[in-house]
Amino acid sequence: MKKLILLTVINLLWSTTLFAAGTQYNLRVDGLSCPFCAYGIEKKLIKTEGVASVTFDLEKGLIKVKVGEGVILTEAQLKRLVDDAGFTLRSMSKQFL
Amino acid sequence: MLRLKLSLQLLLVILTTLLLSYCAWFPSVQELPYQRVKTWGGKGETIGKFNEPTGVAVSESELFTSDSRNARIQVFDFDGNFLRLIGTPGDKTGQLGRPMHLTVANDELYVADYFNDVIQVYTLQGRFLRAIGRPGAGPGEFNAPSGVAVASNGDLFIVDFYNQRIQQLDANGVFIRQWGTPGKTGVWAGEFNYPTDVAVAADGTLYVADGYNDRVQVFSPNGEFSHKWGGPLAINIVGAFNGWFATVTGISLGPQGNVYVADFYNDRVQKFKPDGAFLNVFDLSVQESIKAPTHTAIAVVVAEDGTVFVADYANHQIQKWQPDEQKNER
Repeated sequence: MKKLILLTVINLLWSTTLFAAGTQYNLRVDGLSCPFCAYGIEKKLIKTEGVASVTFDLEKGLIKVKVGEGVILTEAQLKRLVDDAGFTLRSMSKQFL
Repeated sequence: MLRLKLSLQLLLVILTTLLLSYCAWFPSVQELPYQRVKTWGGKGETIGKFNEPTGVAVSESELFTSDSRNARIQVFDFDGNFLRLIGTPGDKTGQLGRPMHLTVANDELYVADYFNDVIQVYTLQGRFLRAIGRPGAGPGEFNAPSGVAVASNGDLFIVDFYNQRIQQLDANGVFIRQWGTPGKTGVWAGEFNYPTDVAVAADGTLYVADGYNDRVQVFSPNGEFSHKWGGPLAINIVGAFNGWFATVTGISLGPQGNVYVADFYNDRVQKFKPDGAFLNVFDLSVQESIKAPTHTAIAVVVAEDGTVFVADYANHQIQKWQPDEQKNER
């Protein structure tokens, strides 16, 4: 029982730490040709509540979106934002920071 | 015999057509080369450093640079010595969101503010004067303005990037007319595919960097389509040959009226006569025998003496180029 409680506490602390540090969403976008279009996507993302920063790698067609504690972005939400900016979301992954 | 004669004539026609096409679509350099005489900057937030420079403009003796991600304008002399900062980051009146292409006209600095959807106007010393426009797709409204040019009568030509159009406003910001249609892209004359920058000649001729169409479009002072260039037929055929483009991100006119174009994916600046005839090219990516990162040439401007300044996006720096006088003297 003690072991179980200890494990639960450790698990809770671990996930709280992850949660507190936020999340990074990695978006693969088709047609990301130059800073002008990348800035267009960034402009839409940065206005989304909870988004802390947006960076991109033109060479790889990759956009990294960092969000704050407790903020969750859905794939449908991100797809819509990228679509609105005139591009296509090819894939998405997320990592805890 | 007749059949052989006809075949030879057909062959001659084909060869002549190919030769003419080659001359038209694969032109050679017509001038002596330019040389890079100075670079400055590098990535950072401190004075003299840049985080994604995207615009350049000149007055008589000063260079104005759009330090985009740092949300500020940095001013230098022509040797790269820092002089002053213009603007502070933010989305309030007079603050800069994401400054892009710049223009200096009538002793004022015009800044296309991509994030705040306005054209910001400052004195050359940096005092905010006024903002032109507001977000939207109607007349006098912008969705990500990326470039601006000012005619001799004070009229503004504004690249409305996400609205796929160029708007002409009077000096007070009142809508006059537009080229292109919000929500519609196309490759035919007068249509745009994410235009990025604009330049206007003294006579009112308008030159548009038609970004993703990989071409330049020209409109006469009365507003009618005049001509276009960039690859075969200038219909969005991308390429790295002379006179072809791979995403046109900046355009500027020199003192002789020649047209300088930032050819982003080809990492170079190309120079043309006003009619589109190819003149010269210089490659930004190679520096001291080291192949630098790609995606360099994003904006270009030409000083009165012919010196060319280029915003180098990938290396976060400014490059200064001049005609190679030594070679010119030979």
